[in-house]
Amino acid sequence: MKLGVVRFLGTNCDFDVFEAIKEVGLEPEWLWYQDQFQVNDYKALFLPGGFSYGDYLRCGALAARAPIMKSVREAAKKGTPILGICNGFQILCESGLLPGVLVQNSHLRFIDKWVDLNLKNASPFTSATDKKIRLPVAHGEGRYIVEEDEVRRLFDDEQVWLTYGKNPNGSVEDIAGVLSSGKNVAGLMPHPERAMTSWMGGQDGRSFFESLV
Amino acid sequence: MYTEQQLSGLLKHYRISQAEYELIQKQLGRPPKGLEWALYSALWSEHCSYKSSKVHLRKFASKSKRIVSEEGENAGVIDLGEGERVAFKMESHNHPSFIEPYQGAATGVGGILRDIFTMGARPVMLANYLCFGNPKADRMSSLVDGVVKGISGYGNCVGVPTVTGQTEFHTTYDKNILVNALAVGLFRPGEKIFTSGAHGTGNLVVYVGAKTGKDGVHGASMASESFDDKNEKKKPTIQKGDPFFEKLLIESCLEVMSENLVVAIQDMGAAGLTSSSFEMAAKGGISLKMHLDKVPLRDSSMTPEEILLSESQERMLLICEPSQLKRIQSIFSKWDLDAEQIGEIVDTKPGATPTMQLLWHNEVVCEIDPGLLVNQAPKYERAFDTWAYPNRIDKSLTATWPAGSTVQPKDSSAYLLQLFSDYRGTSRNWIYDQYDQRVGARTASDCSNSVGVIRLPDSKRGLGLVLGCRPFWMRTDAAIGAADAVALPSLELAARGFQALAVTDCLNYGNPENKKIMSEFVASVESMAKQCEMLDAPVISGNVSFYNETLGQNITSTPATGVVGIRQSVEGLPASNFKAVGDDIFVLEYACVQTNGRAGEIENLKPVWMGEYNHKGVADFIKLTQILASVKGVHASRVAGQFGLAYTLARMSLSASGAAEGVGAGLGCDVDLTAIVKTKEQLFTEKLYQVVLAVSPEASSELQKIFNSFKPVAADASAGSPVVQLHRVGVVRGDSLKIQISGQPVVQLAVQSLADKYYNSWEKNFEFMA
Repeated sequence: MKLGVVRFLGTNCDFDVFEAIKEVGLEPEWLWYQDQFQVNDYKALFLPGGFSYGDYLRCGALAARAPIMKSVREAAKKGTPILGICNGFQILCESGLLPGVLVQNSHLRFIDKWVDLNLKNASPFTSATDKKIRLPVAHGEGRYIVEEDEVRRLFDDEQVWLTYGKNPNGSVEDIAGVLSSGKNVAGLMPHPERAMTSWMGGQDGRSFFESLV
Repeated sequence: MYTEQQLSGLLKHYRISQAEYELIQKQLGRPPKGLEWALYSALWSEHCSYKSSKVHLRKFASKSKRIVSEEGENAGVIDLGEGERVAFKMESHNHPSFIEPYQGAATGVGGILRDIFTMGARPVMLANYLCFGNPKADRMSSLVDGVVKGISGYGNCVGVPTVTGQTEFHTTYDKNILVNALAVGLFRPGEKIFTSGAHGTGNLVVYVGAKTGKDGVHGASMASESFDDKNEKKKPTIQKGDPFFEKLLIESCLEVMSENLVVAIQDMGAAGLTSSSFEMAAKGGISLKMHLDKVPLRDSSMTPEEILLSESQERMLLICEPSQLKRIQSIFSKWDLDAEQIGEIVDTKPGATPTMQLLWHNEVVCEIDPGLLVNQAPKYERAFDTWAYPNRIDKSLTATWPAGSTVQPKDSSAYLLQLFSDYRGTSRNWIYDQYDQRVGARTASDCSNSVGVIRLPDSKRGLGLVLGCRPFWMRTDAAIGAADAVALPSLELAARGFQALAVTDCLNYGNPENKKIMSEFVASVESMAKQCEMLDAPVISGNVSFYNETLGQNITSTPATGVVGIRQSVEGLPASNFKAVGDDIFVLEYACVQTNGRAGEIENLKPVWMGEYNHKGVADFIKLTQILASVKGVHASRVAGQFGLAYTLARMSLSASGAAEGVGAGLGCDVDLTAIVKTKEQLFTEKLYQVVLAVSPEASSELQKIFNSFKPVAADASAGSPVVQLHRVGVVRGDSLKIQISGQPVVQLAVQSLADKYYNSWEKNFEFMA
């Protein structure tokens, strides 16, 4: 079965995710934002990073209302693993498939750097828990926020997926990635597709794709 | 036809000189009228016509077999072998960035990207060469902030990684900063190169991308003028960029090109629709009919003149066969962009010259031979003097400096820490952290190293990119500084095992009508050309920016460069910092020129130098460096640059990502520099050239063996000329930087204290809002 890679206008990590899927021996297929698809045709879905609609209005807000999101919601309901990376994470939050929202970094600047992360809970994309990994981040709006009592619930319900070692953007409780209550929808700000081999600077991102093999 | 008063008003408005006016009259057989004024103003501006530099730029002519496309097209293209080719070019956006830093820098990035993808290449790397004034100068902190945010805002959104950069500071840039952007595009095997020459009677002229607005009208002629203190008034000539549109334009243009639907294509850069349409017509030698009223507008009140001169961003002009228009329109519409037919190629009557016919609601408003404007612009032989090496004090390197004219810090350790906290010597991570360095997932070496590297997707080889030009060396000697602008980046490539292949340049100078500036220009072009020839790394594209002058103050002549190189693989790249305890440290040296260096300049010492720059000797040294740096077991390498050897060793002791990331501050070293540095003061002098290598003990003897077998000889046999030397100076160990000379310890510093200064001083030098 194929892995769908969703492209919106302004998505710019689409080829990177496409190649990462191929790299681990799986078969990616493009999905266009204006289309809809048969949910059963796809083993998993990816929403890559970028600047959909140039981040107009609010990052991810316009993409969350694109026609393809109807199918994405249907897949989420059915339990299909869905991974949103960076802007993809923002889109999943804006569409209500993941809790919380992402706003401008606390220092108001774009940040690109390698960060240390703690894997807190298992997901379809990461089987391990309580593991330290290292991935690059690259975002201007990566500060994860959610209401206070909701944070506690996320921790209790094992929906906090990844936390930063050293918080680069002011996210609440150092949260770098979260899971849906059903655990099949996952979103993170760091870029696993940019950490596939040692020449990239690290290969901790590889398992996010290999776990679907 | 015009009264004297009318004429002088027109000449001033259109920034045309009296002599040029007379030349136009001669060309047309009458005074110019109507839209012709605007056309001549734009296309004969320095920015579009290169009228002061063209004569000298011919010196860059080269016959390298690697060149696929030469200057004249939007960017130069070289063949990397194995089916891969790259296009690259560098361009200035100095004047707009000083007036409005965010938009000026952003549209600089947008413009250079369009020069690349208009040829059919996908942009894969960006780099920026920036020169700022003293941080305490008026507006300087906000200029730094705005420029970096502008580059970040645009480059990150279009999804092209910024892999390297260079930032310089000097008071000559206080009122005229430099913002030069470079882009590299990749043609994968089998992909076609597109050009801009229009041809084929009956073919259509199609306008694609963003709608035209009033922004940037008269931008090209504005950029060709010196500054005064009324720059605020020039704000309306600044363009505004939209990187989201650019991203859509990249994808849609590459898609129509991949389907081979396009006959010719050109971006609308300086002088917008005027330059693109006239250049396409002149290059193809054809006649063109263009309906200005069909140009998609943001503002319906625009006049034909404003439409012609608008520099609205994210627009392209393409020529296609009529049968392809529908398919082209459907592709652009998929990407949410307009593609509007605005004209067609028409027959030229036999025996007649080609014409450009501009129409406004079916009425001809201008009819002129495009060749007059594009190919017959005036060329000036501005006055200059032969270069006389004004700051040389002695040909021999053994001479002693005039008394009191060397950097003499009482305490070398304290002085190093001082340099690490100075804005000129501290970490620039604040800048680079704001750029996406990894989008595209090809980056094998990011901005933490001066050599940015991506892995080529097909051959899996490494493509390296470095910027060059050290304004300090230009102030020391324009001929040496310009050679160094090519030699240093090539040497930095070599020190990581890359072979330099080709060069792009962005020649930023003051007023060419000033003889001193023109002399520096001519001397540096000749010296650069010579260094390129010796390295077999030709200049394949470039840009000249004159009139970087404000209220009579010229900038330091700054021939910025970008050099591209190739390496067989991206595995085992030497780092720029120490990687393994126990590694042997070597200094590879070919010292042909010596100065007090940047430290001397900061201490207000006269920029004098000794020795003799030897283009051939330097080229040979670069080749040797590449051979040695490719030895398996070379873990780290760094060219000794500004502030000399001690500073270089201190930088190598720091871990690349900084102590803040919890990966350790770095690794110390224990070195004895007696063989190279005779006195404590010389720790901070600079020589051309020295390379520091850190090598595993096992590879150490291999390195020496290869060095000996190379039998380095003086490049010319005359006595006293420098020889290439390889000194083993110490070992990587401990957590301190320890340097001794003649048995005396001269530097002893904990790596942690160096890291604290180096990584925490940037923001203390500026007044940023956030």
